[in-house]
Amino acid sequence: MAEERIGVFVCNCGTNIAKMVDGAAVVKAATEMPGVEVACAYKYMCSNPGQELITRDIRDHGLSRVVVAACSPRMHEGTFRKAVERGGINPYFLEMANIREQCSWVHDDPAAATEKATALTRASVQRVTHHQPLEKRSVPMCPATLVIGGGIAGLTAALELADADQQVYLVERQAQLGGNVARLDLTAPYLDSARDLLRDRVTRVTRHPGIQVLLESQVVGLQGFVGNFRPTVKIGTGELLHLEVGSVVVCTGYQEFDATRVRQYGYGRLPDVITSFELEAMLRRGKVETRAGKTPRHVAVVHCVGSRSREFHPYCSRVCCMTGLKYANEIKSAIPEAYVSNLYVDMSAFGKGCEDFYKRTAEARTIFLMYEKNQAPEIRLAGTDPEGGMLIAMKERLSGEEIEIPSDLVVLMVGMEPRRDSDEVARLVNISRDKDGWFIESHPKLDPVATTTDGVFIAGACQAPKDIPDSVAQARAAAARILAKIHQGMIAVDAVYAEVLEAHCSGCRVCNELCPYTAIEYDEVARRSHIISAACKACGCCAAACPSGAIQARHFTDQQIFAQIEGVL
Amino acid sequence: MAFEPRIVGFLCNWCSYTGADLAGTSRIKYAPNVRVIRVMCTARIEPTFVLKALSEGADGALICGCHPGDCHYVEGNYKTMRRFAALKRVLRTYGIEEERVRLEWVSASEGARFAEIVNDMTERTRKLGPSRVKVQRAADTAAR
Repeated sequence: MAEERIGVFVCNCGTNIAKMVDGAAVVKAATEMPGVEVACAYKYMCSNPGQELITRDIRDHGLSRVVVAACSPRMHEGTFRKAVERGGINPYFLEMANIREQCSWVHDDPAAATEKATALTRASVQRVTHHQPLEKRSVPMCPATLVIGGGIAGLTAALELADADQQVYLVERQAQLGGNVARLDLTAPYLDSARDLLRDRVTRVTRHPGIQVLLESQVVGLQGFVGNFRPTVKIGTGELLHLEVGSVVVCTGYQEFDATRVRQYGYGRLPDVITSFELEAMLRRGKVETRAGKTPRHVAVVHCVGSRSREFHPYCSRVCCMTGLKYANEIKSAIPEAYVSNLYVDMSAFGKGCEDFYKRTAEARTIFLMYEKNQAPEIRLAGTDPEGGMLIAMKERLSGEEIEIPSDLVVLMVGMEPRRDSDEVARLVNISRDKDGWFIESHPKLDPVATTTDGVFIAGACQAPKDIPDSVAQARAAAARILAKIHQGMIAVDAVYAEVLEAHCSGCRVCNELCPYTAIEYDEVARRSHIISAACKACGCCAAACPSGAIQARHFTDQQIFAQIEGVL
Repeated sequence: MAFEPRIVGFLCNWCSYTGADLAGTSRIKYAPNVRVIRVMCTARIEPTFVLKALSEGADGALICGCHPGDCHYVEGNYKTMRRFAALKRVLRTYGIEEERVRLEWVSASEGARFAEIVNDMTERTRKLGPSRVKVQRAADTAAR
C-alpha cells in the first residue's frame, strides 16, 4: 500500500470536549501514529476557520487522508466531507472519531476519557488508511407512476401527476373507484356531500388520457428500484400486465374495525345495533329506520369502538368524534323529534372548523354522556321482544352516576384498522409497518410521505387513521415529490453500496435471498451474482454472508473494520 | 493495577448509534470501557469481527441493533440474531465464556438504556476477568 499522509484534527468544541478530554494529549499521541503527517487541536473545527484549517493543511502538507476527532459523525460528517472535498481530495477520504457524544459527555474521569479519545482517534487513523475514493452516481428516472388504491388519496395522487402530463397506472381491487369515501353520505364538519367530492374526481380520472385505470386488479409483484420499478399487475381477466414505472404511491387505505369483537355491544346479535357505515348507507338511501321499519325515537351513538382501548387498538381513529356529531346533525334533520345521545370517552375536535362544529352540535342537537376508557357501556334488550327497544347501562363520568338510557337504534363508531392484507402489501413494495400495522413513513415529522424504500411513497389512511383533507394533502405531497424527481431526470445514488467482486463469486446465490431490497440479480449465463447499485441501501448483510468474501460493502469493508478493531484496542 | 476490561461495541447506525449519541446529549454518565465501531446495520457484522476483537485482546464484544420489527433495513436484526447464535456456538468450542459477547436492542430513543447496558456489561466482564485469549497471547509474547 502506498504511504498515506494523514492529518488529524482534534476539536475542543469550546469546553464541551476540552473539559474532559485533553486535546493536546490526543494530538501528541496522534503525531506518533503511523502515517500521520500533521495533528492539531482547534476550539471549533466545524467553524469556518476550523474548516479552512483542514483545507489549508490538505494543500500545504499534501494530505491524502483526514481524521476529525470531534462530535458524532451523525452531526457533522457531511460538513467535514465537504471541507475535505474543498481541500482537493475525495470526500470519502475522511473518518471521524466521536469524542464528544460518546466520550467527553458521558465520562467523568478525564484520564480515562482522554485514553478512550486517543483509542478512538487511533481507530480512525487506521481505518482511514484503507478508505477508497467513492463517487456518487446517477441513473435515469422513468416518469410513469404506479398508484395502488383508487380511494380519495389514490385518485388525488393520480390526477395531480397526470395533470402534470405524466403517465399514471391506477390499480384498484374493487370494480369501482372511490374507496371508503364512496360509502359516506355527508362529511364533517361542513356537511359537504361525499358524493359531490368524489364524482368530479372519478369522472376526471376515468376520462384522463394520462391515467390508465385498472379495476378489479391487483399488484402481484414489484421488481427494480427507484426510477426503474417493474410492477406486475393481475387484471380482472386474470391476465398479467408488466409495467415500467419510476415511482409507486401506496394508497391502500383502511378497513373498519369488526364490531362483533366488542361483545357487550351485541353487534350481530341485537338487530338494531348497527355500525357507522351501515348508518351511512341508510342516510344515503334517505331513510333512517330500525330493522322493523320503524322510525327511531332514541338514537345512541357509541364512540371509540375498537379504538383507544386496551383490548383492541390503542390508537385514536381520529375521524369518529366529528362523524358522531355529524350523525347527530343528520339524524336530527331527518327525524326532528328524535333524541340523539353521544356516548364518548373524550371529544377530540382538533381539526379546522371542528371546535365550532362541536359547539353548534352540542348547543342544539345532542346529549353528551361520558364513559370511562376501558369501562364500555353495556347494551341489552329492554324486554324479550328483539324489536322492542334496548337499554344502555353505563357509568356516566361527569355525574358519577350509574345510568340506563333507552335506545331504539345504536350506532357503533367503528374505528379504522390496517387492512387485513397490509403485511402482504408491505412486503410487496418493501416498506415497514409500525406496531399497529400502519405503514411507516421515512420521518414522522419531516418526511411524512416517503418511506425507507426510495421511490415508494405512502398517502392516506394506510399510513395511519386520517380524515379526507389530510389524505388529500398527503397524496398531493407524494405527487409533488415524484414530480420533482421526474423533473431532475436522473436520480443520485449514494456512493456507499455493496458490490460483487465477480472474480471471487462462486455463484452460490446465498446473498440473493438475503437482500431485503431484491437488489441482487443472478446472471444465469455467467453464473455469478450482481448487485444493482441503485437498489442497494448498503446494509451490508450480503457482505457478511458471502462465503467467498466476494462481496465488498463499500466504505464498510472487512479491511476497514478490522483496522478499526485493532485501533480501539 | 485493577483489571479494566476492554470491550468493543458494534452499533447499527440508525437505532443504537443514535441511542448512544442521545446518552451523550443527555449527559448520562457511563463506564468508558466500551469502544464503539459504527456499522450501517448489525447484519453487516460478521462473526469474524467479534473473533478478531477477541483475538486482538478485547475482553468482550457488545452488539447493539434496532429492536425486532424496527430494523431500518426491514429485518437485518433477525439475521443478526441467527448469526449471533452461531457465534456463541463457535465461542463455546473455543472455551470462551458466552457472557463475553452480548446482543442487545437499543432504539434511537433509549440513551439511558444504552448507558445501563454498557455499565452492566462492564461490571460482568470485570468479574469474568481478562479473556483467556488475551492471557494466552501475553504468555506467548513473553515466551518469545
